[in-house]
Amino acid sequence: MDAAILNGLLALADPHLLMLIFVATLGGVLVGALPGLNATTGVALLLPFTITMEPIPAIAILTTIYCAATFAGAITAILINTPGTSASATTCLDGYPLAQRGEAGRALGMAAVSSTIGGIISVVCLMAAAPLMARAAYNFAPPEYFALTVFGLSMLATIGDGSPVKNILSGAFGVLVATVGIDLLTSIERFTFGMNELSEGIPFVPVMIGVFGISELLVQADNLHVERKQVIMKAIKLPSRDDYSRVWKTILRSSGIGTFIGILPAEGATVASMIGYNEAKRWSKKPEEFGKGSLEGIAGSEAANNSATGGAMVPTLALGIPGSPTAAVILAGLMVHGLRPGPTMFTEQADFAFAIFWSMMLVNIIFFFIGLWGAKIFARVTLIPIQVLWPIVFIFSIVGAYALEQSMMDVWIAIGSGILGFFMRRHGFSVVPMAIGLILGGMLETRLGQSMVMLDEKWWLMLTRPLSLFFFVLTVLALFGPTIWGRFFKQRSPLKSTGE
Amino acid sequence: MQDAADTTDQPRRDISRYAVPLGIIAFCAWAYWLSTQFDRVPPILKRGMQPEDFPQLVIGLIIMLSVWLLFRDTSAAPERLTKMVQMTMGLLIGFLLVAEIDLFLGLGLFAGSLAALWGERRFWAVFLVGLITPIAVFFLFDGVFEVRFPRGLLTNLWYG
Repeated sequence: MDAAILNGLLALADPHLLMLIFVATLGGVLVGALPGLNATTGVALLLPFTITMEPIPAIAILTTIYCAATFAGAITAILINTPGTSASATTCLDGYPLAQRGEAGRALGMAAVSSTIGGIISVVCLMAAAPLMARAAYNFAPPEYFALTVFGLSMLATIGDGSPVKNILSGAFGVLVATVGIDLLTSIERFTFGMNELSEGIPFVPVMIGVFGISELLVQADNLHVERKQVIMKAIKLPSRDDYSRVWKTILRSSGIGTFIGILPAEGATVASMIGYNEAKRWSKKPEEFGKGSLEGIAGSEAANNSATGGAMVPTLALGIPGSPTAAVILAGLMVHGLRPGPTMFTEQADFAFAIFWSMMLVNIIFFFIGLWGAKIFARVTLIPIQVLWPIVFIFSIVGAYALEQSMMDVWIAIGSGILGFFMRRHGFSVVPMAIGLILGGMLETRLGQSMVMLDEKWWLMLTRPLSLFFFVLTVLALFGPTIWGRFFKQRSPLKSTGE
Repeated sequence: MQDAADTTDQPRRDISRYAVPLGIIAFCAWAYWLSTQFDRVPPILKRGMQPEDFPQLVIGLIIMLSVWLLFRDTSAAPERLTKMVQMTMGLLIGFLLVAEIDLFLGLGLFAGSLAALWGERRFWAVFLVGLITPIAVFFLFDGVFEVRFPRGLLTNLWYG
């Protein structure tokens, strides 16, 4: 393992790769700062560009976009009171009031420092936890994997602010879409309508581009009247010694919370930032300052959302279960590159895994400097009119969807998924569970089939295996726990997720 | 006046409250019927499940959840689609039709029309998104990523 850690670090010594990571960090910050675009959309749009690359630079670019865009949401949250990504929604609450008081530079400085510390702590946890989790999962048999995948899907219930039933329905629809094509167990075609293009199934990438990119274009058609005004900022200030002494505990606490939330399947930076913010307020000596420009509020939110990025990569790489919506798109990227996330990644592709970890560490350091010196410039990009931005995003979306298989069918799939995603969102169905269901659907069916063979078609024997039973119990808790909890205890948090 | 304002502020409750779950159930019924048409493997070659078993399991789950939504969902129906969204969707359909003639002609026309539809009146901006960007993207993907685009009215000028 030590050799893999070193080899992973050495892989980053390639100047070409370093340059790519630097450019991707700039791109990620740009994506996070642009209105309507977020880390998930950015990664989905960039995925086709990485197809011709080697796996390390390709996945490093995607994870770089993920980390940098998550941080950059804070820039617009503080300067124009519009979170660049939903994970920065809580940063608005204190960042913008500080900016209005003429302390935008101080707010951005705090956001950059807490994001960087949170990000680095989570990558250290990722390096330690992912191989351990993979080792624990190494002896999983198909029933355990099936139960784990069911648990991962059940966590979709709590994504966004939609109804849990609608989220599960959306996830189940994604799983159903994943059954299109040749059945891997029996080699029989299903739902292909005689079209050869569908025999390998519905491709992930055009669907991702559709549901995250094109559906957002239709949403933006209703936001043309939104005016964005930037608060004037002189220069970014690093936090003072007094500031550090006030917030260091908050940063550490939120980093721990964010990493833990990130590790939970499907829960991402948005949930982490809300819990991080709430806990910062609960433990603060001056809770009355929250919402009026508290530095602790910014630190709590930003440390948590950036630490969730590293946490989310733990189950993604170690188990093949995405830890967040953006991690789900990265998982699709790993599959497109022929990589097999799971326990074997740390035995057969350990150098690759650690190169990705080190690249994430590097990004957290790079965006600290970009955040400090480039925020003023990046904040200006938020003023690009959406009348110009979104037609350009559309062109990249369509060409990206086409480029992977060089098939016009994929363009139709992207547009169809976009329109479907738009209507789903209008009726309160999050598109994230559908995308994750599509990615995990094939895995779920294969593992159920293998389990049935292994258990002689007696599916109930899965419940006699301690680990499977454990995951099924967790699934029941994930699905019904919040309802039971809500009946017995009053809900305390006034904040709601904006969904990622 | 107050009453009128209150009425407008109330969430709209229309047929979509029931139409969405019923539509999903109808779709599932169709998908279930399709799944009954799949070929089956002989019992001796069967490996755990028949090809229709898993899709039918998922369809059953979706129907159950839709029935729950039908009776228990109390969320308000969304506002009517605005004219801008309808016209943007119309442009998307127009793009798909023109893309059959030439993908980049479709992209250029769509991007330029969308910018104009959304209120962009500066010529250079429409020119940028409708002409410069599609050309730049074409040469980027053709030259750097070696993507071969479908032949069409304009792409033939390059491919010969």
